[in-house]
Amino acid sequence: MEPEQGDQPQQLQVNDVNIHNKNQSLAATDTGPCPICLGSFVEESYLDICFHKFCYTCILHWTKVVAAKHSRKPPSVKCPLCKVENFSIIYGYDGSSFQRQHVNQDFATSSFFSKAHRYRLQCYYTEPGLLDDKINVSQYWKSRKYLQLNRWLQSWLKREIQALTQEEDVDIITHHILGVIDSFSRRNEQVHQTKKHEAKQEEFKTLVSDAARPFLARRTDRFVNELIIFLASGLNIEAYDEVYKQHLGWNTSSVIVEDEDSESNELVPAVPYLYIFDENSSEGD
Amino acid sequence: MQASRARLFKEYKEVQREKSADPDIQLVCDDSNIFKWTALIKGPSETPYEGGVFQLAFSVPEQYPLQPPQVRFLTKIFHPNVHFKTGEICLDILKNAWSPAWTLQSVCRAIIALMAHPEPDSPLNCDSGNLLRSGDVRGYQSMARMYTRLAASPKKG
Repeated sequence: MEPEQGDQPQQLQVNDVNIHNKNQSLAATDTGPCPICLGSFVEESYLDICFHKFCYTCILHWTKVVAAKHSRKPPSVKCPLCKVENFSIIYGYDGSSFQRQHVNQDFATSSFFSKAHRYRLQCYYTEPGLLDDKINVSQYWKSRKYLQLNRWLQSWLKREIQALTQEEDVDIITHHILGVIDSFSRRNEQVHQTKKHEAKQEEFKTLVSDAARPFLARRTDRFVNELIIFLASGLNIEAYDEVYKQHLGWNTSSVIVEDEDSESNELVPAVPYLYIFDENSSEGD
Repeated sequence: MQASRARLFKEYKEVQREKSADPDIQLVCDDSNIFKWTALIKGPSETPYEGGVFQLAFSVPEQYPLQPPQVRFLTKIFHPNVHFKTGEICLDILKNAWSPAWTLQSVCRAIIALMAHPEPDSPLNCDSGNLLRSGDVRGYQSMARMYTRLAASPKKG
């Protein structure tokens, strides 16, 4: 009983700012109003594909209204302005980082993003302090323990990268970083040790940073430090988590619940998204 | 509720400000109820509705703009997608293709476009739809024109 959609020629004229290019839209200086509430923007946010701009709560409410019409919540929402399917809402953009709310997906129900992922991500929002009393990093390098394979490293890397990128499939990044670490160890097996262990550690840091930076951007340095702590601990993942949480003074069981997201479940934007939007990044082409 | 009221108030101000922007549409808000609006639209030129002025009644839900407004013709109109008795309108954007970026003003524009481009394959008025579907454009036009004269033309004198 519905007319064909194609016959509404003026559908797009309404408020359509006609932005097809992400970079263009970032440069665009449209100051509103929000197409949904017609007020000025409150918590500016963008749809991830078409980059149309809305108030955060306006677009979030709209995705929920759309979802309520489906028995199975769709993973995407059509832009109210241009009807392009979008998969997430980008908000909290401060010039270097932003947060992301996936459409109809919160981390509580997401299959791969476990409490452990969440805890690891939260760690990146705290000052680590020094774990010197528990984990002796320089001893690890002095005694050249890095020559031995750490059999928990792969799982640790995978979880860490999943937590940081909030992507499920990170095998290729994990593999890449593991390869870099592996070749570092093997090179050092053969070469006679002349360098100081501090220099070794620096070399390791640089290598891993270079490998990880395209994927982890601003979180890279911290990630490498975390990696070094994990390696030096010599612990398996469970034991390492225990030590780490203890160190931060996080009550092991209540860490997840008590944090910022105990408010309304509906508006919890999960944990801040960590990818850095960088115009110089080569990913755009 | 508050959100819909605020947004309707914005639309009200916009309508006041741009009164002459679209001479084919005149939107008026009910004096006592911001959820009730009336619109007068001019029949598009080069259609059988040309020369007519049609009255629309808007009933805006509390969830607006997340839910579409209910719109119907108060003026009798012979059109495949408008119910002849109730004035109900079959238009996708008023149902499942609704987007909160539409405004009452732009809905009026969409209805004017629908008047100019009937969709005989999803008829609410079967007589009108059948005339068009059987290719009897003249028959449809003369009926539509007659009702425009009878019901939608300003009374003389």
